[in-house]
Amino acid sequence: MMNKGNRMSIASLKRLPLLRGQEAGLIGVILGLSIAFSFVNPSFLTTDNLRNVLVAVAVVGIMSIGQCFVIIAREIDLSVGSVMGLSGLCGAWLMAAGLNPWLAIVLAIGVGATAGLVTGLIVVVFRVNSFIATLGMLSVARGLTQVISGGLPIMVDPSVMFIGQGTFFDIPVQVLIFVGLGIICQFILTRSVVGQRIVAVGDNDEAARLSGIPINTTRIAVFVASGALAAIAGIVYTTQVSVAEAQAGTGLELDVIAAVVIGGASLSGGRGSILGAMLGAYLLGALRNAFILLELSPFLQQMSVGMVIVLAAIFDQFRQGSFRHANVMPSFLHIFRSRTR
Amino acid sequence: MQDRVERMSIEDEIALEVVSVDKRFGSVHALSNVSMRFRRGRVTALLGENGAGKSTLIRVCSGVHQPDSGEVLVSGKAERMSGSLAAKRMGIAVVQQEPQLVSQMTVAENIFLARLGSRAGTGLHHRTGLVGEAETLLAGLGLDKELPDLGGRCAGLSAAERQLVEIARALAADPHVLFLDEPNSSLTRKETDRLFDIVRRLRDRGTAVVLVSHRLGEVYEISDEVIVMRDGRKVGEGSVDALPKQQAIQLMAGERLKAALDLAESATPKASPADAAPVLSVRDASGLAFSNVSFDIQAGEIVGMAGLVGSGRTEIIRAIIGADPLFGGDVRLNGKSVRFGSPRSALRGGIAFITEERRTSVFYGHSISFNLTSNVLERFGHFGFFSERKRRAFAQESANEIGVKADNVDVGIRTLSGGNQQKVLLARALASNPSLLILDEPTRGVDVRTKADMYRQIRTLAHEKGLAVWFVSSELDEILQLADRIVVVRGGEVVDSLARGPEAARVVASALGEKIEDAATTVLTSGMA
Repeated sequence: MMNKGNRMSIASLKRLPLLRGQEAGLIGVILGLSIAFSFVNPSFLTTDNLRNVLVAVAVVGIMSIGQCFVIIAREIDLSVGSVMGLSGLCGAWLMAAGLNPWLAIVLAIGVGATAGLVTGLIVVVFRVNSFIATLGMLSVARGLTQVISGGLPIMVDPSVMFIGQGTFFDIPVQVLIFVGLGIICQFILTRSVVGQRIVAVGDNDEAARLSGIPINTTRIAVFVASGALAAIAGIVYTTQVSVAEAQAGTGLELDVIAAVVIGGASLSGGRGSILGAMLGAYLLGALRNAFILLELSPFLQQMSVGMVIVLAAIFDQFRQGSFRHANVMPSFLHIFRSRTR
Repeated sequence: MQDRVERMSIEDEIALEVVSVDKRFGSVHALSNVSMRFRRGRVTALLGENGAGKSTLIRVCSGVHQPDSGEVLVSGKAERMSGSLAAKRMGIAVVQQEPQLVSQMTVAENIFLARLGSRAGTGLHHRTGLVGEAETLLAGLGLDKELPDLGGRCAGLSAAERQLVEIARALAADPHVLFLDEPNSSLTRKETDRLFDIVRRLRDRGTAVVLVSHRLGEVYEISDEVIVMRDGRKVGEGSVDALPKQQAIQLMAGERLKAALDLAESATPKASPADAAPVLSVRDASGLAFSNVSFDIQAGEIVGMAGLVGSGRTEIIRAIIGADPLFGGDVRLNGKSVRFGSPRSALRGGIAFITEERRTSVFYGHSISFNLTSNVLERFGHFGFFSERKRRAFAQESANEIGVKADNVDVGIRTLSGGNQQKVLLARALASNPSLLILDEPTRGVDVRTKADMYRQIRTLAHEKGLAVWFVSSELDEILQLADRIVVVRGGEVVDSLARGPEAARVVASALGEKIEDAATTVLTSGMA
């Protein structure tokens, strides 16, 4: 009896996504870096600092969950930063207009989802490349934000500020939201019909179509999810800083995409994990934090973040053993020799 | 003594030689211990069925693939070609079946694509200069009258013109060895004659030409030597006189053609109750490349649709399942009039299908289990979620049932051989419990053993479980072995419909090749006598 239980637990451990692929590598890198940093500055591995990193990461992390769905479906969403700003501002604006703060939050999430729906429809109906469609949405949403706010910041209703500032059993609420959403979405990705459809569409859309998967609905769904999650990130950010301003979230799309790619998602679709994206977001946050604690130049920080992104992609290629041009080196040598001859 | 002198001179003539080359892709042994020589000033025909290894051989000879063992000798010297560019430098050119042209460039630019901008010093090229250069080159080859306007863009060219540009491009490099991979599959008879004129001129100039084609009649007109491949091996070689067409066909098909004939002869057409309503009934259907098509498929019956590529077979399927528009006609499924707007609705209506091209059906990045269950996930749970355990169990069970050779269903589908991938697709199609199964070229690129296995599976499904099966094939022995009833399609119309038997063999053979006709029927009748 005991024996059987043991065997089963080992077998199921092996099936845990944690111990497979990019996630395992990421956890290793995060642990290694954390230990290395803590030698230089012991405050790095304190609970307080860990909490700081998680709080700093939550906004980008929540958006990277949505982006992960999009990238797995072989699309891309550049508009997340703008949609986040728009939704956060809409929420604050509605609260300021006297609406119930909770209703305002629901409507704000609706705004994000609608932005995603519009993008999705443009991609599916007019067959516009999602890079272009979301680039357009990036600008439109940002412009709309400025129109609504008139360039002035709007205060957030104090009754909902706990979302960005409060704690629950000593854990920041936004971290709970981030981790909770991550777990739910990982479950949706791997255990729901919709999740598997997203994977199928990203891997081979023609095969998905021929095997009876509603590929257009699926594509629209990922953009709606990304928009809604960006909106949630917008609420978290707005309540965290107590005030909604028109520039919130500018440029965050790059961090979000980087997090997803570091997490092992493939830009050619069909592969990726929410957990990986979350870890990717954490790694980026931890690096930033470390550079501050180690009092290094912020320019170096930017460089290192860039290198991490590229290294993660190279590592991923290695792991898959899919160097397409395996005979690149011999060819180079050949050219070199024929030139020198 | 004299013998030795002659041998010497023959060896001098060898432009390209492969020596015991082996090449594996995963579990597929694409080439095993293949040795052959291509001589200067000769046209060598490389014959074999789909999947015999011809294309792999060409890729090995042109540097696209590296052989696992064995070597490639160019003009007697062992060379390691690191890529197609290196092969080109050694004077080996390949004309692909599908012309790869840059459609926004002019014909002249496409011809000189490989050395655009390699003019000393600058990265610029002169359009007008190129046109003049192309004219000189083509006049030298005697091609100048055949090609379209050299200064025009390639976007508007017809298939035949594109093919000619592709050939001109290959010749621009002045190759010693020229591979032509199905160069005339998109050409008419007249265009083919012109192509063969060019080939003859090249041969007389001392080029070694290697021709791959399925149109045996035409091949025999022009070739000097014939090499036959089957299942990755060389099974025969000789001059055109020493190895006549009939013998080549027998070598290509191996024992299968004979087995197919035995089967066709012994077969008693399965009697289905005449009054039963057909599972699929098509009346006067017309679509993109077919018109006035009518046929029925009964439960428990395997209907084989025979016809050449381009005869409209695939288009009929695509229109019925809603992947292409159906312009008119009546389609009834189990007695109910239906018209499907998408493959999804056809699938829900009880039609499962496997398409011709495996790469448009397989999710290559995923496991067998993922591939097998992709359209029936709802079954393993509730509210849009499913149980991974149930899914695995189902996948494992149906994979075992259909005989997929793999350790377990978590294995990536990419690691399976083509035949096993095809079995997974078959299992996926069956997972939705269809009443009609449509297979387009069900065993393309599948090895012989797996083929036999799949035939057995399909027969069991139809004859014992009552599934209606409709398949399309351009392989004669496949139609003869598998079909209970044969529908012949030509030029987008159903021209014949007959039960399996010796009579069918002759009709189908004639339908499958205008040029292969005489040879194949000879074999068939001699096999039957």
